[in-house]
Amino acid sequence: MTRDEFLKRLGRGLAGMQPDAIAEITSDYTDHFIAASADGRSEAEVAEALGDPGRLARELKLEAGIKRWEEGRSPSAAWSAVIAFLGLGAIDILILLPVLLPMIGVIIGFYAAMFGLFVAGGAIMITWPFNAFPGGPAAALLCGLGMMVAAIAIAALITIVSIVLVNALMWFGRLHYKVLQPAIEPETARSAMS
Amino acid sequence: MPEAIEIQLKKGVLGLCVLALLSRADSYSYEIASKLARAVDMGEGTIYPLMRRMQSDGLVETYFEESSTGPARKYYRLTDQGRASLETQLAEWRSFTSAVEAVVGKIGVPLESAGETEHDA
Repeated sequence: MTRDEFLKRLGRGLAGMQPDAIAEITSDYTDHFIAASADGRSEAEVAEALGDPGRLARELKLEAGIKRWEEGRSPSAAWSAVIAFLGLGAIDILILLPVLLPMIGVIIGFYAAMFGLFVAGGAIMITWPFNAFPGGPAAALLCGLGMMVAAIAIAALITIVSIVLVNALMWFGRLHYKVLQPAIEPETARSAMS
Repeated sequence: MPEAIEIQLKKGVLGLCVLALLSRADSYSYEIASKLARAVDMGEGTIYPLMRRMQSDGLVETYFEESSTGPARKYYRLTDQGRASLETQLAEWRSFTSAVEAVVGKIGVPLESAGETEHDA
């Protein structure tokens, strides 16, 4: 593999990451080729020693996804972290898919249901003067309020579950590409570091 | 899965080696990669995800310095946090290897004398 081919494949694997991160990574590997050729090594030899660019790109992408997720636990960060995780494409991750995809579906479904419950509760509260709600206005008010509060509470619970789930996925993903912490006792090493 | 374990071990040790290398002198990634990849027998490319992660964890920082052979080079140096992490990891590594050595180091001795009486895995 030539240097250009290596960088092209790496770039293809990195697509979707922040442009400045891609530029930085590309320049790191370009510098590597330059330094190696000053060392008298051929491009093919260096590319071989570097390893599979697609695999390197997947690892870099997962790390970027984890970093984004750790910086801010937003839905979009969770989404890109999960995508990067699935992008690893390792066998055991593919085996996880039949479990993982329904779980994501169920979580989205729950959010939709809670949103519906919230809206329905609001509607009951607002429209009670115009409808003959069984039990009278006070019951309608309480029922509507109850539904809205329940919707918020359950949505909050689902959010907690989702955060735990994404954290678990990232932990699992890092098992594949664990580079920083010693393989033994990753938890203590991580806490000692942070 | 002996292969997976071997890779995990090497990768884990790689981070420790980079910290140890940088504690002696600042270095640029090609130098780190070529020194360590040969020693630990890992793809040289794996050093870059590792360096990025160590940088984002605040263990190392970068600065640019002119080189005699080409464009400015990105050098890495340890931060105080990196130094602290090296100490911790080194202590873990030493206690781990001495624990393993305490078990493994005895293997050769009884094998010659006791021979097939050993059955445990």
